Amino acid sequence: VLHTTRPLHTTQQSLAPVPPLPEKGGEVRHGLIPEEFFQFLYPKTGVTGPYMLGTGLLLYLLSKEIYVVNHETAAAACILTVIVYAIKKLGPEVAAFADKLNEEKVATAVAMKDEAIQTLQTAIEEEKKEQWRAEGRSYLFDAKRNNVAMLLETNYRERLLMVYSEVKKRLDYQVAMQTLKRQKEQDHMIQWVEKSVVQSITPQQQKESIAKCIVDLKALSKGAHAAV
Amino acid sequence: MNLSFFDQFSSPSLLGIPLVLISTMFPALLIPSMDKRWVTNRLSTLQLWFINLVTKQLMSPLNNKGHKWALILTSLMIFLLLINLLGLLPYTFTPTTQLSMNLALAFPLWLATLLTGLRNQPSTSLGHLLPEGTPTLLIPALILIETTSLLIRPLALGVRLTANLTAGHLLIQLISTATVTLFSTMPAVSLLALLVLFLLTILEIAVAMIQAYVFVLLLSLYLQENV
Repeated sequence: VLHTTRPLHTTQQSLAPVPPLPEKGGEVRHGLIPEEFFQFLYPKTGVTGPYMLGTGLLLYLLSKEIYVVNHETAAAACILTVIVYAIKKLGPEVAAFADKLNEEKVATAVAMKDEAIQTLQTAIEEEKKEQWRAEGRSYLFDAKRNNVAMLLETNYRERLLMVYSEVKKRLDYQVAMQTLKRQKEQDHMIQWVEKSVVQSITPQQQKESIAKCIVDLKALSKGAHAAV
Repeated sequence: MNLSFFDQFSSPSLLGIPLVLISTMFPALLIPSMDKRWVTNRLSTLQLWFINLVTKQLMSPLNNKGHKWALILTSLMIFLLLINLLGLLPYTFTPTTQLSMNLALAFPLWLATLLTGLRNQPSTSLGHLLPEGTPTLLIPALILIETTSLLIRPLALGVRLTANLTAGHLLIQLISTATVTLFSTMPAVSLLALLVLFLLTILEIAVAMIQAYVFVLLLSLYLQENV
């Protein structure tokens, strides 16, 4: 087991509550000297006090050779120039970047919260709509009931019509049968009468009627000639 | 204070009290501890972002077993970076200019990677001694060469860091001495030397960061082979 994986510094280790780092650092002037120092000296020496103190201190250290100007001074000058230049140039960018990181973190969480709220509100509206729909149930059932009743009525009428037509067909058939029967009887009777009449005509009668016809015709012809 | 060129590399002591431990552990004071708040102040946010970036970069080529090294490698990286950068300030002692410290960092860590490899997958780690696709005749020579290269690694790691930083610091000292000495006699040349010093400072800042990164990167590379 690699003990390098044991987590370190997860708690403050001190039982007293240690305050967290403040959000913004204290006010500094020239990047180094806290503002409180200037405020401390202000009542006695005014605005220029700390600067006079600084200059005097510097000149004292230099002139008494308490601080010796050696090669480290040149190196110090260079590195301090680079540091100050870098901070002045890139400082605001870095601060904005850090702020942006924090903003994104907060924005993600807020977006999640808003989305959850939005989802719930949509769910509420949907539910209300469903409830309204449920109220209109009775109309739906009435319409359905009407539909069914109409269908039954139609069906009944159809069947009624069918019954009527069937009965009429049967009755027509009977009527036709009777008519046919009477017709046949009539025809038969006519035929029988004709047959008996024809049979009753004896040959003597036939000759007499033919002679009479010829006499009649002659008489008529005479009359006709006279008319013309 | 009359400083010779090598006074900056001597172990610092105040009235006989060795201060080397304080100067080595000082960078730890500059890193704010873990904040329990969710939205932290700017320094903590930047520190968190940076550590995340470094860890992701270092750990992405490693498999899951190598991720156990994340803590030590990331903290090593931050440690070396801060020590190197702080050493560029005047009158500061850079612990990484001491070969003893660098070897003390490099040797155990390299040995740990080697032993992890030999213990868990001996044939694979020994197999790294022979690159693929070598002609058969060269095999014995190549194995000897690769073994030498393997055994030289801790020395190389330590000495690389020491040499780079020591050389950089010495150069800064020499050129600044030239600047200061020439200032009274030939100010123009002195100004030129100052310009060179300026550029050298920028180089040294880059070297400080790069050397820290290289150290840790190579260690992670050795780990990648062996884990």
